[in-house]
Amino acid sequence: MHILIVEDDQVARDYLAKALREAGHTVDVAVDGLAGLHLASSIALDIAIVDRMLPKLDGLALVQSLRATGRKTPVLILSALGEVDDRITGLRAGGDDYLTKPFHMSELLARIDALARRGESGNSEANTKLKLADLELDRMTRRVIRGGKKIELTAREFQLLEFMMRHSGQVVTRTMLLEGVWDYHFDPQTNVIDVHISRLRQAIDKDFEKPLLHTVRGAGYSLREDE
Amino acid sequence: MDQEQRFLGVLGSSPFRIAVVYSIAFALGAVALLGAVYFAVSEVVDGSTDNLIEAEVQGLREQVLVLSRSDFIELIEQRSQDQDVRGAVYLMVDPQLRPVAGNVPAWPKIAADQGKWIQFKVSVPFGDETREHEMRAQRFPLPNKYQMLVGHDVQERQDVKSLMMRGLIAAVVLTMLLGLGGGFWMGRRILAQAGAISAVATQIMRGDLSQRLPVRDAEDEINTLAREINSMLDKIEQLTLGMRTVLDSAAHDLRTPLNRLQATAEAAMSQLAPASPERRVLERVTTEVDRMRSTLDALLRIALAETGTVAREAVDLSELVGSMVELYAPVSEERGIRLESSVIPGVQVQGSRQLLAQALANLLDNAIKFTPEGGHIRVFLRQGGSGPEVIVEDDGPGIPADKREIVLGRRVRLDQARKLPGSGLGLSLVAAVTKLHGARLVLDDAEPGLRVALKF
Repeated sequence: MHILIVEDDQVARDYLAKALREAGHTVDVAVDGLAGLHLASSIALDIAIVDRMLPKLDGLALVQSLRATGRKTPVLILSALGEVDDRITGLRAGGDDYLTKPFHMSELLARIDALARRGESGNSEANTKLKLADLELDRMTRRVIRGGKKIELTAREFQLLEFMMRHSGQVVTRTMLLEGVWDYHFDPQTNVIDVHISRLRQAIDKDFEKPLLHTVRGAGYSLREDE
Repeated sequence: MDQEQRFLGVLGSSPFRIAVVYSIAFALGAVALLGAVYFAVSEVVDGSTDNLIEAEVQGLREQVLVLSRSDFIELIEQRSQDQDVRGAVYLMVDPQLRPVAGNVPAWPKIAADQGKWIQFKVSVPFGDETREHEMRAQRFPLPNKYQMLVGHDVQERQDVKSLMMRGLIAAVVLTMLLGLGGGFWMGRRILAQAGAISAVATQIMRGDLSQRLPVRDAEDEINTLAREINSMLDKIEQLTLGMRTVLDSAAHDLRTPLNRLQATAEAAMSQLAPASPERRVLERVTTEVDRMRSTLDALLRIALAETGTVAREAVDLSELVGSMVELYAPVSEERGIRLESSVIPGVQVQGSRQLLAQALANLLDNAIKFTPEGGHIRVFLRQGGSGPEVIVEDDGPGIPADKREIVLGRRVRLDQARKLPGSGLGLSLVAAVTKLHGARLVLDDAEPGLRVALKF
């Protein structure tokens, strides 16, 4: 993927660029908002990572200007602000995702992956039937079948599985799940998400030889066919 | 219901109360003034008629001694017809009380114990009809058991008196009505202004600092007060925005180095073999960064809630409480704790969904942390006396009554909690979020355990 990083903090920028290059992406960097906007509107990008507070042109203004020119490049906003409604203003300005500093690289990588593959996977928004290996989920009838056998799920487990299937093959972090499935943005002190996942795993993997729901150490979970 | 309440509100307003007091004072004044006039006038009128009758009686008593019966009868007839003496009545009766002479058709019924003065009614022609007129008279015996009645028509006098009495009552009623009506009108006016002011004040207290009190053109006390409060609000808004700016730069200045620390540690870790001791040290560094981050997040959220500069929206509290319970149900079950809930549907509040969720999460995290295996946690959303109430109660060790105030302060952890993880900011955040929403946070004994109530 071709990724643009607009970040004025050198340490953060260098590490981000290095980590993304190591993950196999092509990376461009800009150190202020104006340079960032110039790059973002002149080259074909898969993703832009934009710091919220930038010299010359504020991160939010950058995203707004980019959207005004009709560019739909997915944008991940990095913020060092107070949060709560800063997230809302960030998303309203045209950002696609929002991450507060400090963050784990695994969190950022999972989020860019999700952003880049949004809409491209076979399990996109429009599909009423989601499929992975012998697991099938029907959004209309709200039925889940694996290997021809019907699986009983609670409403929330169903939503959780739907989210995982939409992101199948990707790493999904706990905060992504809490945001995507529950629409909450906080760090629970207890491992609430892990318990929900283990229940879902119990329901879909227990009676089958090949597990589909995998734990990715230090990052989160992944629903995928292999291994 | 609403209208009735508004009506009752006006009755309780201070202008109305003042008006009631003044109306009563004025009415008493009117009673005293008109009453004095009434008594003075009646005394004059009554006295003059009575004197007239007394004189006439005296005259006739003298005449009867000197005149023959026929002359006396003639005198009576003459006097009865005399138009000059308007209203004078005479009646002479024989021992059987049959009229002999005079202008009264029949001897009135007189009670045995009646004194000197008697009052009776006589039908008097009045145009084409007759009218009952009140008469006042004295009687005296004549020779041969004949009797004489001399009196006067006092109807006019009665009319004057009752007219005055009616005037008096009308004056009192009118004074009261005008006073009360005026008071009601003033009360309503003041209440409308005060209501507008308190509505805005409520919005301002909930954090919408852009609101200003309504000011009319008039130069009265309330408008002057409203103007002064508005300029005070301008200052508060500036200060709050200033605080928000300070908060944002503090957040930025703390998050940026933390982010560098995290990045540097991660960059170094990626060069190291998974199980190397150096890597373990760096992992500890990132764990500490995580801990600092969550403390920082909590502090910033508390500060944000306290400055009141958080955007508000309509929050479906029923949905929120329901989904938080559902989020925490599996984890509590895994720890052998029963999480029960009772949530009434359709409850909405104005506020921040994320902060309310964080507050509720802190309460549930706490409850799970302190409730022993086999214990219970109960979550309620119910309609309290003044509004909705969210209640989280557990049957853990609870908080002693004398420490409940203290734990709401920042970073307080009671001894028994020191061995458990947590920043000690959980309840402070709950308190700040509760205050932001104009709600009350009440810690109570759940017998046994802790009951935390958010009363909206």
